[in-house]
Amino acid sequence: MLTELSDYVSTRAGVLDRVRRMLRDTMKLRIEPESIDPDVPLFGTGLGMDSVDAVELVVQLDAVFGLTLSGSPWVSAKLRTVNTIVDAIMEVGDEP
Amino acid sequence: MSLEEEYRSARHGAALSRMDHVGLARVRGDDATEAVDAICSGDLWVRDGRMIQSLILDERGHPVADVYVCPDDDDCILMFEGLTTDELSACLRKYADPELNFELEDLRPAYELISVNGPYAWEALSKWLTPDIIGLPYLSFYHFDRGTCFRAGKTGEYGYDLAIRSDQAERSWEELLGFVGVLGGGEVSLETLDLCALENGFFSVRNVSGEGLTPLELQLQWRVSARKRFPGVTAIEARRAKGMERRLTHFVARGGVETGELIRDVDGTVGEVAAAAFSPSIGGVAGMALLDVAVAYPGIDSFFIAQQNAERPIRTVSSPLLFNRSLLVDPHRHTYATRDQTSDPPLWPGSLP
Repeated sequence: MLTELSDYVSTRAGVLDRVRRMLRDTMKLRIEPESIDPDVPLFGTGLGMDSVDAVELVVQLDAVFGLTLSGSPWVSAKLRTVNTIVDAIMEVGDEP
Repeated sequence: MSLEEEYRSARHGAALSRMDHVGLARVRGDDATEAVDAICSGDLWVRDGRMIQSLILDERGHPVADVYVCPDDDDCILMFEGLTTDELSACLRKYADPELNFELEDLRPAYELISVNGPYAWEALSKWLTPDIIGLPYLSFYHFDRGTCFRAGKTGEYGYDLAIRSDQAERSWEELLGFVGVLGGGEVSLETLDLCALENGFFSVRNVSGEGLTPLELQLQWRVSARKRFPGVTAIEARRAKGMERRLTHFVARGGVETGELIRDVDGTVGEVAAAAFSPSIGGVAGMALLDVAVAYPGIDSFFIAQQNAERPIRTVSSPLLFNRSLLVDPHRHTYATRDQTSDPPLWPGSLP
């Protein structure tokens, strides 16, 4: 595997793992983090989150990853799946 | 309508479709819910009047049916793809406890299924059925004089599946066609609905299935119970213990990609195209690939499909691919007639490799 690809995959997998753990804790899910699929829908189907969970998720993303979504017109696009959250974190860097 | 016009109906207006590929049945009896629970892979924690998506797996853990389970009083309505009603009946006989009291009633052909999808589908339904339709939550249903309205859909837009008594079906179809026509829409084929489902990452048991594909590879673990026994559970447990080798991952390409083609990087094969179709919104191909789990991540630009005289690059992306209009349309504030008064972001915010 190319070094550049290897580095990217390693970084992405690390952020994915942290987001999964954050979701498990925020949602109080009784499953292993790796059982949360990267493309699982967050709302409606999938993890079945609701508007109250969304508020808590936005707060947690800001606190843990420094990702500020409150008031963003793109918030509904960035909070669709675990992967779209990871995309958003990697766009801004994951330092709080 | 051309496929492009159909697509525009589904993504920008309202689209009317016949759902002849979907089965419809009612399980009756004191133990109806228990019987359905015995064949579904997911936990059926859903209250009366709501719906939940589940799967039916074979003994190898492969999905054979994609099911909406809809508890209705003491009964269960099932909307399903992938199995015939006879096959569903055989499945219930094989896996449900013979002591349970239930019976399966095929609701076909007494009812026909019609769907309305699109960012303004609610507007067509509010005029045809009742203005209260805009308050019907996602994954719920209610009965009306001609049948039942299910708030569902697999396009990423507002979606309603209507089970209509057959003696009212043609009349209803013509009336609905008139309403969706006013909303810039018309009759839309299954091919276009499948494209929309692909763009939004919905599982299709008709289009993405095959040897070795369990809910783990298909990113459908949320439809698999961790607490109960169901058909295929032993295979799922074995797969979990062994670890999965591939995972479904979405990609885009400029064009000319076919299902089954191999995906490579400089070191060799990393996966295979599971489904692909041209997307007007993307201006290229939207696809799903089964990639080696070590590289099954969005945001990778270094993969390609080796064709006869060229290497066709692909880019892995997150699902859903589109920023659906329905995320921006509020039935309490917007209408199709005033749709041009807002400046919406593009449906596809990305770029092609």
